[in-house]
Amino acid sequence: MFFEWVFKFEDVFKESIFEYEKNAMGASGAFALERGGIVSNELGTVLQLFMRSLETGSVYALAALGIIVIYRTSNLMHFAQGSLGMFNTFVVTYVFLSFRLPLWASTLCGIAAAIGMGFLVDFLIIRHTKKVSPLAKQIITLGLIMVFLGLAPMLFGVDPLSLPRFLQSGDFNFGIASISHNAVLNISLGLVLMGILFYVLQKTKMGLAVRTTASNEPVARLMGVPTRRVTLAAWALAGVLGCLSGVMIAPTTTVTTSLMDAVQVNALFGCVLGGFQTFYGPVLGAYIIGVGRNFLVYYVSSIWGEQIMYLLILIFLIFRPNGLIGKKFVKKV
Amino acid sequence: MVDPLMDLSLDPETTTHTLAKGEALRVERLSISFGGLKAVDDLSFAVKKREIFGLIGPNGAGKTTVFNCITQFYRPDEGNVFFRTWKDGSDSVINLVGQPVHSIIGLGLVRTFQNVEVIKELSLLENVLIGAHIDFKATIFEQAFKLPRARREERVFQRKAEEALAFLGIADRKDLPAGGQPYGVLKKVELARTLMANPRLIILDEPAAGLNDSETQDLASTIYQIRDAYNCTILLVEHDMRLVMGVCDRICAISFGKFLACDVPEEIKRNKLVQEAYLGEEEA
Amino acid sequence: MNGRNGRNETNDSPLANPKPALWKWKNPYLGFVLFGLLLSTLPLFSSSGLMKSSTLNYIGNVLVYAVAALGLNLLLGYAGLISLGTAGFMGLGSYIAAYIAKDMGMSFWAALTAAVLIPTLVGLLIGLISLRIEGIYLAIATLCVSEILLKSFEQADSITGGMQGKSVSYPVLFGHALNRSSTYVLLVVVLTLVMMLTHSLVNGQKGRALHAMRGSEVAAQAMGVNLLQYRLIAFSLATAYSALSGVLYVFFIKFSYPSVWNLNLSLYVLAAVVIGGLRSIYGTIVGTLVVWAVPDLILKNLPIVGKINGLPYIFNGILIIVVVMFAPQGISGLWQRALPFKGKKKEKEAE
Repeated sequence: MFFEWVFKFEDVFKESIFEYEKNAMGASGAFALERGGIVSNELGTVLQLFMRSLETGSVYALAALGIIVIYRTSNLMHFAQGSLGMFNTFVVTYVFLSFRLPLWASTLCGIAAAIGMGFLVDFLIIRHTKKVSPLAKQIITLGLIMVFLGLAPMLFGVDPLSLPRFLQSGDFNFGIASISHNAVLNISLGLVLMGILFYVLQKTKMGLAVRTTASNEPVARLMGVPTRRVTLAAWALAGVLGCLSGVMIAPTTTVTTSLMDAVQVNALFGCVLGGFQTFYGPVLGAYIIGVGRNFLVYYVSSIWGEQIMYLLILIFLIFRPNGLIGKKFVKKV
Repeated sequence: MVDPLMDLSLDPETTTHTLAKGEALRVERLSISFGGLKAVDDLSFAVKKREIFGLIGPNGAGKTTVFNCITQFYRPDEGNVFFRTWKDGSDSVINLVGQPVHSIIGLGLVRTFQNVEVIKELSLLENVLIGAHIDFKATIFEQAFKLPRARREERVFQRKAEEALAFLGIADRKDLPAGGQPYGVLKKVELARTLMANPRLIILDEPAAGLNDSETQDLASTIYQIRDAYNCTILLVEHDMRLVMGVCDRICAISFGKFLACDVPEEIKRNKLVQEAYLGEEEA
Repeated sequence: MNGRNGRNETNDSPLANPKPALWKWKNPYLGFVLFGLLLSTLPLFSSSGLMKSSTLNYIGNVLVYAVAALGLNLLLGYAGLISLGTAGFMGLGSYIAAYIAKDMGMSFWAALTAAVLIPTLVGLLIGLISLRIEGIYLAIATLCVSEILLKSFEQADSITGGMQGKSVSYPVLFGHALNRSSTYVLLVVVLTLVMMLTHSLVNGQKGRALHAMRGSEVAAQAMGVNLLQYRLIAFSLATAYSALSGVLYVFFIKFSYPSVWNLNLSLYVLAAVVIGGLRSIYGTIVGTLVVWAVPDLILKNLPIVGKINGLPYIFNGILIIVVVMFAPQGISGLWQRALPFKGKKKEKEAE
């Protein structure tokens, strides 16, 4: 009785402390090292760690890319990226469990839902916020978080669900290290997807439209760039990226409303680490966090590793206040 | 009129660490560059006590940059700015270069800004009270708990601010928020704010910009009144030539950050270099 | 030139009407005291059965968050600096208070003092950081601090109880062990005091300096405001408020769990501030009510809405979005515009 309102927002899905704990550990310790396997020497450990980190990094990078795409096109810090991803992962899981579709087909359903959700958010809300101050606009994403936190249990129930990996078994062995087929799939999926996106951004007319919108929306509109369509597409894209990162991380934990909390936070850190001025900066930042975190947790301290990582980010920011790739602005009096 | 300072400023090797008698401010061999471009180049001039001194030049001549170097918003690459301040009742000369920006007002040097910098959400009176910021001695706790000293200070400075507003003729609006007030009123609020600090020298950055003719006329007499009532020196940058020529005792003309001439208005008007600088601008 | 002249003269009409006298307390402190007295009568309703017992918990909860929200309003509304570290500092305050009161067995006052002072010192560090990092980067940097704290709450079992959380009992004041109702009254007293102190602070010299820092950094500096000093003041005040809120939380709710102090809490406090209206003390309280009490007290008790899982949150989310879209100045902005004709006219002229 007492817990019900202590956990104001958790009470929606009424999970026990135990499940919460498992979930929180799982989500924050994404792809924690499974010791054992064939780890024979130091180099092997490093290699193994690195590959796992790439997998974690991919998840963060996809989410970070979603955040930066929205930031650049809608001038909005997308705090709801994780919640949106969480919701669409629920869709995937629900379709997978209830209709017994294969996982890839369920994921496609999730992607379709993500695109629909993205359209809806832009069409119903973001489009009408031209006159709203940047700060107030920010609060809209908080409203969105609440909506998704409510929608998920309403549509899919309050019990934690579980989603399997794409490839259930199989490892690649290098003698000194091994990596599961699924991890390879995740890493390559992330890399290929981002490769395609960056190609589109840099080399196509559509990409040019996005980049002009990103650098100056009013001017782009005056020049005939369909900024409305660009923004619409950006929200759909962010939804898809969130959904994919959710599907990637879901097998390591259970699908609950807090599925993406750690991903959201780390993706935000990736963004500041990389800087908000480019599209690739946040991706780079996200991978750095994925790698740095795992190495610190393994080699320095399993308890304090993550905190040390965040502290390093903070110290880095003090010396480079605009991130890795950011440029410095000169203020005029 | 022969100005002894001119000789000093023309001799590049001379650096005095004091001010000559009767001088309020001396800018000496000031230089600053931004990304390789010299915005101010080896500029020297001196302002006398109780003088109304104008700094003119075509667009982009670096006038505001000079002001920013004097008030330490920019750190000059080279040069000194000597200023006569008062401490413990007696005059002393201090080099402003290297002083923290926020300490400048405490030395008796206050400025206004090209685009009025008032706080829209505060009332006019509160805006003016910001000018007395450094004179408040009550601690944060005294203010939070409204202890006697905090209350007394608030009362004293409020009266002073009301006086300053009345002096400039906008006392009737004191409780209105600054946001939404006409530009002319905001300019006066900025002026009133500078008056709160018991200034020795007031720097006005384009005080007439955005004012209409009658307001500009008004401004000229206000500047005289301020000088006389508050017994201070005034240094101003202005585009409105009529105002500058009418109100200033002496004028320094610069172009592309370089010194052109420094003299009384009539001489400046006749000066070939100054005419060329302005004509050149018009042709372009 | 003519265009300029024209603009100058348009709204130069003699502005005879001063601030609207209606709804303005002659002595604002009287208003705060009355507000506090009203709130502190609620336990009577609760004990006499006129009000559900759990309602008192919800309201108490809102009062707790209101303290943190006032601190964030001070930071964001006055100083113009943003922080997403509210939750971390609330948590820090709550754990320190719990540790001192329970494990060390010291008095409520000792717990309160230490639990407010220690986080404030950490807040000073953020103030230092804020000189280098700005805007959205600063927001994420404060989130970074909050996450470091959150992870530490989870890991430092011996002090925080780890995932199992930490429990305390109601405070003991002057030899009297308080119960739920009297702790609630304590919350009201603290909140009222905080509102009064905030009011006199923001209307004094320090408050004006914060205003100046937000409105125009250059003007602030030219007027002698030391930016470093005032950023430190702003951050340490906001942190102190957050920590105080955390202390009240742990003594009223009697538990502190790491899962409470996450990013979402910081975001909700931010939402409360913006929805209530920047630079408005009562607005902040109303904003906190909208964010926390509306779903629990109103929406959950509605006939159909309240029965479906998650629906109250959906409604509240939509409510927040709608308020922001149609009242960008927050509820206090709406309130001011509703006051006799003045606001609307001003706005039209501004356009």
